[in-house]
Amino acid sequence: MTRSPCHSPSHGLDLATPHAHLNSPLHRWDPSHKILGILALIFAFALVQDLRLVPPMMAISATYYGLSQLPLSLWWQRLRYPGLFMGGVVFLLPWVSGSTVVAQWGSLTLYQEGLTLALVIVGRFISILTLGLVLLGTSPFLTTVKALRSLGLPSILADMILLTYRYLYDLDAMFHTMQQAMGLRGYGWRSSHLPQESPIQPWGQRLQQLANLAGTLLIRSYEQSDRVYQAMGLRGYSLPQAPRPFPIPPTPSHSLGLILTLAIVLIFVITDWILVQ
Amino acid sequence: MHIADGLLPAQVCLGGYGITGLLLHQSLRRIDRRPNPKAEVPKASLLTAAFFVASSLYIPLPPTSVHLVLNGLVGVILADYAFPAILIGLLFQALVFGHGGLTTLGINGVIMGVPALLASGIFRYRPAGVAREPIAGSQPRPFTLGLFAFCAGAVGVGLSALFFFGIVLATLPLDMATHTERRILYGLLLAHGPLMVLEGIFTLLVVLFLHRVKPSLLPPPARRVAPAAPLQETP
Repeated sequence: MTRSPCHSPSHGLDLATPHAHLNSPLHRWDPSHKILGILALIFAFALVQDLRLVPPMMAISATYYGLSQLPLSLWWQRLRYPGLFMGGVVFLLPWVSGSTVVAQWGSLTLYQEGLTLALVIVGRFISILTLGLVLLGTSPFLTTVKALRSLGLPSILADMILLTYRYLYDLDAMFHTMQQAMGLRGYGWRSSHLPQESPIQPWGQRLQQLANLAGTLLIRSYEQSDRVYQAMGLRGYSLPQAPRPFPIPPTPSHSLGLILTLAIVLIFVITDWILVQ
Repeated sequence: MHIADGLLPAQVCLGGYGITGLLLHQSLRRIDRRPNPKAEVPKASLLTAAFFVASSLYIPLPPTSVHLVLNGLVGVILADYAFPAILIGLLFQALVFGHGGLTTLGINGVIMGVPALLASGIFRYRPAGVAREPIAGSQPRPFTLGLFAFCAGAVGVGLSALFFFGIVLATLPLDMATHTERRILYGLLLAHGPLMVLEGIFTLLVVLFLHRVKPSLLPPPARRVAPAAPLQETP
């Protein structure tokens, strides 16, 4: 389901890939090859332990991002929240890890090993996040799941991913309507939803209301699933299906992209191994 | 409690994928043994989506507010489908909110999924006749049902916290003595004590609500009492 952003629920649950229909080399790349190549590159980057490999790693991910023609605003938007968390974690490392002192201010000591490790972690994080964005942002989500299925993802898992994706927005909207209705009746946590004359409810009672809300959502989704299964059965869902190859056969340029990416992977793995040794 | 991309060495990430692959294989094998394995896929998928949405609930826990993890409740309700459901939830969390990541999907699957499986086991091995409709004449006992649900919910989040902090402390070279790391681990786990209680109470309340309103949503206990002989009508 690709829902337009204007219909997205207010709290930002957005899985749509609005840039999936651009016409860049990354968009034209065969999805199965793209998954294999970029995942291999992501894991090669996760292997990096030497600081000297961080600049080429970031340059390669920036090249892939540039080739994908995805807007920079998207990159920044996706980096912001996990970046804050990551920043909090790596901020501590230079102060607690290592033995070679770089600088000292009173009881605060900056260690070289900790600083190097923090820079490697940040470099890996930014590069992997950028490549992940290229992988998922240059194909519609359904195409990516179909490509994963053609690569051997179990059918039950693929079906569950697609169905969860299909109903996520519906259930999210339903849940927020239920929460709003609760608020209008004087229940819920946010005091702004409570009428002035509403008595302050005890904490346990409110927790009970939230549990009832979650339970009701589960029951509604369970009941909806019966109808969904019947509709799917009418379309022949329960019949056995073999994994099918991806509908678009890869061209020589697709294979060239995969070969080039795997060559980069190999160079990175070997160089990192040599440097660490 | 999700580990982000880049934080862990690739060996740990690959190890996480290995364990997750094995557990997923086991779960799918158990699902495949069912008479019609695809029949429950829509139910499991919609419940996965519902859990994903419900986990956005924030609950005030003075002086702050926390959001629920719900992996214990996922284990309780989805049973065999819990592990695939957790993996899908983690995938969507990485895609939508940037929590976790692609390289750490495996290790995050272990952190959240193994406790969910354990929670499922705890709830499954509750005494017979306390869940669903009265079985063979034995009356449902909400207290026992609630107790097992509480344990499942609390163990789910507690074990996840233990795995998360254990893995982070073990893999990051913090140059600390073992006893210092252990103290930090205990301290962090202690800080998660109120969360475990909250998650346990929430799981208990949801399970008792479902027991009252829609008992068929709760999986049957592993050991059931033998069905009683039907009552003979007296002429």
